[in-house]
Amino acid sequence: MSNKVVPPIYRAVIDDVIAAIRPSFEDLGVADDVLHELQQKWEEKVIASRVADFDPAQPAPPAHHPYPVALPQYAVGGITYIPPSAAQPRPGVKPEPVDPRYALAAPQYALPPLPGPSLGSLGGLAFPASMYRLPQTDGPAGSEDDDDEDDEDASPAPRMPRTAHPSLQPSASAKGAEPTDEEAINSDLDDSDTENEEDPEDAAPETDIVFCTYDKVARVKNKWKCVLKDGMIHTGGKDYLFQRCTGEFEW
Amino acid sequence: MASAYYEFYRGSSIGMALTDSLDELITSGAITPQLAMKVLQQFDKSLADTMVKQVKAKTTLKGHLKTYRLCDDVWTFIVKNASFKMEQNEMITTPRIKIIACKNGDAIEAGKK
Repeated sequence: MSNKVVPPIYRAVIDDVIAAIRPSFEDLGVADDVLHELQQKWEEKVIASRVADFDPAQPAPPAHHPYPVALPQYAVGGITYIPPSAAQPRPGVKPEPVDPRYALAAPQYALPPLPGPSLGSLGGLAFPASMYRLPQTDGPAGSEDDDDEDDEDASPAPRMPRTAHPSLQPSASAKGAEPTDEEAINSDLDDSDTENEEDPEDAAPETDIVFCTYDKVARVKNKWKCVLKDGMIHTGGKDYLFQRCTGEFEW
Repeated sequence: MASAYYEFYRGSSIGMALTDSLDELITSGAITPQLAMKVLQQFDKSLADTMVKQVKAKTTLKGHLKTYRLCDDVWTFIVKNASFKMEQNEMITTPRIKIIACKNGDAIEAGKK
């Protein structure tokens, strides 16, 4: 049973790593306690993973899910220490207060048609402002005239329509409708695409996996033969090790 | 020298246990990420050497090959209805298993000295 081999092998790996890395800790002036802590944490997690029956009958009740779940994260890159730590202290609350502000500001400015604040609100909203100015600039003379009038006089004529009809109601409604539509479409497309593509292969990453090396991989028609070496099998929540594995598959 | 060893075993159970432990120590400020990288490189070496020296088990695997892929000398197989035949006729079956296999040989031989 190659599963029975796992505890002494893992034991040997842990001891070897800890012994070999000790000089590095000493060189950096890291206390020996930290090294012990590392070893302790490591052993605890290995035992808690329940990948094999480790001799000390430690029940290891804590949840052992994190390991299989974390596999995909690891696949992203070996250096990703940041995500777990960064995710804890910073909940992203920023975008939420911003939206209500604009939502509140829009109706307030819409009621009193004042030039100053309306410009500010339009500038802040960006979408309706650009949307509204574009059609005006289509007619070059008209746009210039409008600008001049705006600068010279507090003429109600150009501003009344600006605040009144192109104003925030249609734009707001359009704005409210567009993003939801876009989001809905995009998310639906993305989800369906990714699901369809990834489900067969990469979804359920916590499923069984083998890490190994290969000596040779050969194929004749749909018959595959491969010689695998130095493998770590993880299946059914247990680990198995092999020096050599001969695989025969039909495609 | 350490670069001669594969890093992908870090995704195994014992490797994840180590990376999680290192994460905690980095978060608490006990060690630097650089030192953690050294530990992981040592793990790559220790694991590969220990496997070669101490693991003697041989097994066969049969199943239906659903997906195969060779990219940068790394084979990836997804085998359905896989059955491992361990020594002493122990059988282990699983409906689906993913195999990640790096090339054996030059890289490890060079690192082994």
